[in-house]
Amino acid sequence: MTALTLEALTKTFPRAGKVVDSIDLRIEEGEFFTLLGPSGCGKSTTLRMIAGFEEPTSGRILFDNVDVTYDAPNRRNIGFVFQNYALFPHLTVARNVAFGLQVRKVSTEQVRQRVAAALEEVQLAGLEQARVDQLSGGQQQRVALARALVIRPKLLLLDEPLSNLDAKLREETRAALRLLHQSSRVTTVYVTHDQDEAMAMSDRIAVLHRGKIHQVGIPEDIYERPATRFVADFIGRNNVLDATISNTSEHAVVVRFVDGAELAIDPRQRAAGVTLIPGERVGVCLRAESLQLASGNGIFSGVVEDVEYTGPVRSCVVRTDVGNLQVEIPSSAARPSSGDRVRLAISPATVHLVGSP
Amino acid sequence: MGFGPIRKQLSSSFVIFLLAIALWGYVVGPLVATFEQSITGNGGGLTEYTNFFDLRHGAQGESMLGSLIISALSVITSGLIGAFLAVLLKRWDFPLRRVCEVLVLVPIALPPLMGVQAFVLLYGIGGTFPQLLSNLFHTSKTAFAVDGISGVLLVHTLTMYPYFYLTVAAALEQSDDSLEEAAYSLGASRFQAWTRVLLPMLTPALVAGALLTFMSSMSSYTAPLLFHVDQVMTQQIVIAKLNGQLGLASVVSVMLALISVAFLIVLRTYEKRAGYTTLSKGGARKRRRVSSPLWKTTLVIVASISSIFLILPIAMIFLLAFSVNGSWRAAPLPSQYTLQNFIGLFTNPSSWAAVVNSLEMSALAVAGAILLGLASAYVIARMRFRGKAVMDIAVMLPWALPGTVVAINLITAFASPSIFSLGRVMVGTFAIVPLAYFVRFSPLVFRSTSASLTQIDVGIEEAARSLGATWWYAFRQVVLPLLYRGLAGGALLAFVDGVGEFVATILLYTPQYRPLSIAINDELYYANYGTAASLGVIQVLLVLVVVIIMLPWNERETVTYR
Repeated sequence: MTALTLEALTKTFPRAGKVVDSIDLRIEEGEFFTLLGPSGCGKSTTLRMIAGFEEPTSGRILFDNVDVTYDAPNRRNIGFVFQNYALFPHLTVARNVAFGLQVRKVSTEQVRQRVAAALEEVQLAGLEQARVDQLSGGQQQRVALARALVIRPKLLLLDEPLSNLDAKLREETRAALRLLHQSSRVTTVYVTHDQDEAMAMSDRIAVLHRGKIHQVGIPEDIYERPATRFVADFIGRNNVLDATISNTSEHAVVVRFVDGAELAIDPRQRAAGVTLIPGERVGVCLRAESLQLASGNGIFSGVVEDVEYTGPVRSCVVRTDVGNLQVEIPSSAARPSSGDRVRLAISPATVHLVGSP
Repeated sequence: MGFGPIRKQLSSSFVIFLLAIALWGYVVGPLVATFEQSITGNGGGLTEYTNFFDLRHGAQGESMLGSLIISALSVITSGLIGAFLAVLLKRWDFPLRRVCEVLVLVPIALPPLMGVQAFVLLYGIGGTFPQLLSNLFHTSKTAFAVDGISGVLLVHTLTMYPYFYLTVAAALEQSDDSLEEAAYSLGASRFQAWTRVLLPMLTPALVAGALLTFMSSMSSYTAPLLFHVDQVMTQQIVIAKLNGQLGLASVVSVMLALISVAFLIVLRTYEKRAGYTTLSKGGARKRRRVSSPLWKTTLVIVASISSIFLILPIAMIFLLAFSVNGSWRAAPLPSQYTLQNFIGLFTNPSSWAAVVNSLEMSALAVAGAILLGLASAYVIARMRFRGKAVMDIAVMLPWALPGTVVAINLITAFASPSIFSLGRVMVGTFAIVPLAYFVRFSPLVFRSTSASLTQIDVGIEEAARSLGATWWYAFRQVVLPLLYRGLAGGALLAFVDGVGEFVATILLYTPQYRPLSIAINDELYYANYGTAASLGVIQVLLVLVVVIIMLPWNERETVTYR
């Protein structure tokens, strides 16, 4: 059952222009759905329209097929978690969490029970009487979460809730969020610019850029089969090289790079919308971890410029005739040095074609 | 399209509409009425405007020049004293420093009329110091007396220096020692460090202080009145009005208003560009301990003498309050003292009535100011609508205008019935005085409430709404508790100012409902300094009570609710 539908949702601001450009989305009940994209792509604005804090310029928003486009935020039965928590500073933790229940005129005894249960779920049991300015950032975030969940909303909306936390805390809270979602199964819309976060937590991801959706899919699809050049650039460490289609047949398509090198790949390894016509320009995605340093044969040759050791892998930049390529090799493999002449090989099965800009 | 957005827009549009109407009726409209009166009224006309710029044609041009020059001089003198005191008390640590820091702010509690009178009685003709000095040096009685422009400058300097003191002190507290240390490490001499590092850092504070002092000085009426300086614009307005030449009074009012508004715009632009300067207590700049005993003694003496000097006027008021009326003849101080003045305060029906009148009028005005100030602060801080910038200026306008001009505006606007006076003529009634206080002091509530509002994260209100609260529920349970200190602070200041107000009251009151400042004025007319001072003491005590109430609030001024 579709819990949330966005139809041609558009938002234009007087000075900034069209921030959200005709977005269509269907989010299923119980899904953990992420809006992913760089700053300014319109993801927060979209979330705020879903919540009712912004009014769309045009388009519709439906909760369970009911049009709520112009409903006030307090009528939508949502839970919203803000980036900077937005806790009520003059109230204790318990009162903060109880706020939504008190608005709904839940009985005092029920309020007490549900608040205690909610705090227990976010591992803050016992902190009921604490003042919010005495809590750490991570604790404040969990209070905000408890406050949003205790009212049992139809939709949980989170606006970059982890960006103000340090790295370790971010990972812990990420895991906690995932667990909470699994136990509550509330339909969740999550906004972030962090792709690792998005891929780790989501059932499905929508990648946004400049107000438009570039791709919607499960994390594996987004990562391995990017639909556009932007998605390919944004996700993972990808080298997107310009090439032209030199030859097509039923079983293979041959692409030619700017240095003349050619590569044959399975014609199914392409994004929708890429037409296989000889002479057509395409972008060839070579992921950094699928390029290998080959001793003998390799499609490209170049010079190692920079080597960074990051623990499990080494990242290198190799300067070739087709551009500077990012390469990731496991630390256990032979260690390249700056200045080495190397050849790079690629397994054709990992190659993916996207359209040319 | 559902009814949701229409209903929400209707209610917020309605509030904005009401505010616009109120601002038109009581602030902007009266200003326009004064302009009309300046063209058509008695003694007015376009030629009067050109006379301003033609010094040969007499009084008006001279008075404008007089006001401008006195204001410029006031800026210089107040700036020197204020900055000097700020550096003295913020940079070094020495015995009695804390006491001096408190005393230095006492002149803020000086009541408008009685305060200036205290200056006259201390330094003017027949005053304490001229008498003492003439006895000491065997000169004529008036040799050391201060009168005329020097009298006005003296009052301005010793009452307006807090504008500089507060801003410079705050700037010093927030500044970093390391900048000066960097200068020294690069080889600068102390003089160079002060002129090239410290002074530029203090520039925003000095500019803010200068603008405030200039605007205050242009509005000044009581000091020129009591020191016999006719050639200032405020005096010319009142004189023309009392002569029945409302047109001429309006002409001068319009010119004065234009100057004040120009400075208001400069001040707001400067404030916005230079960032928001809150008097925060963050950033501990260390004071230097003074080791040399000679230096230490010098500092203690200088600071103590300055502080005593500054509190003399208030001390004089308290002293006079115990003096017998008429017992001050040719001597430095009154000869007889009594408690009768205070007893009379509570037993004499007309004195007591004056106190009650002022309290009533101020309370009425503040009730209205809270509504207008709170509504406009919220609407301007939280909503987007066309004409917001105009409303912002309109709300702050009465704060910039001299009290004299506000009074003239109300006279010209409400001399005949209008919708805003519910179809009645307001001039000559009880209501016009609280109205004047309401107009003059709403900006105080607006300002302090706005300051509080900007510190409250918008997300908090959105969070409350997302949890199901209606706008009103969220406002009551979340916004108001966080706002109330700013709101109450502004309201208390407005109340205190209302009780002491003189310059507008003198043009608007009716004898039937005499407020406190008029009662003082009447007593001074008969040289009943004792009675007048006892009434003045009430004003001072009121300020003290408010300060004590507000003291614990200022401790948490820097909390940002994020």
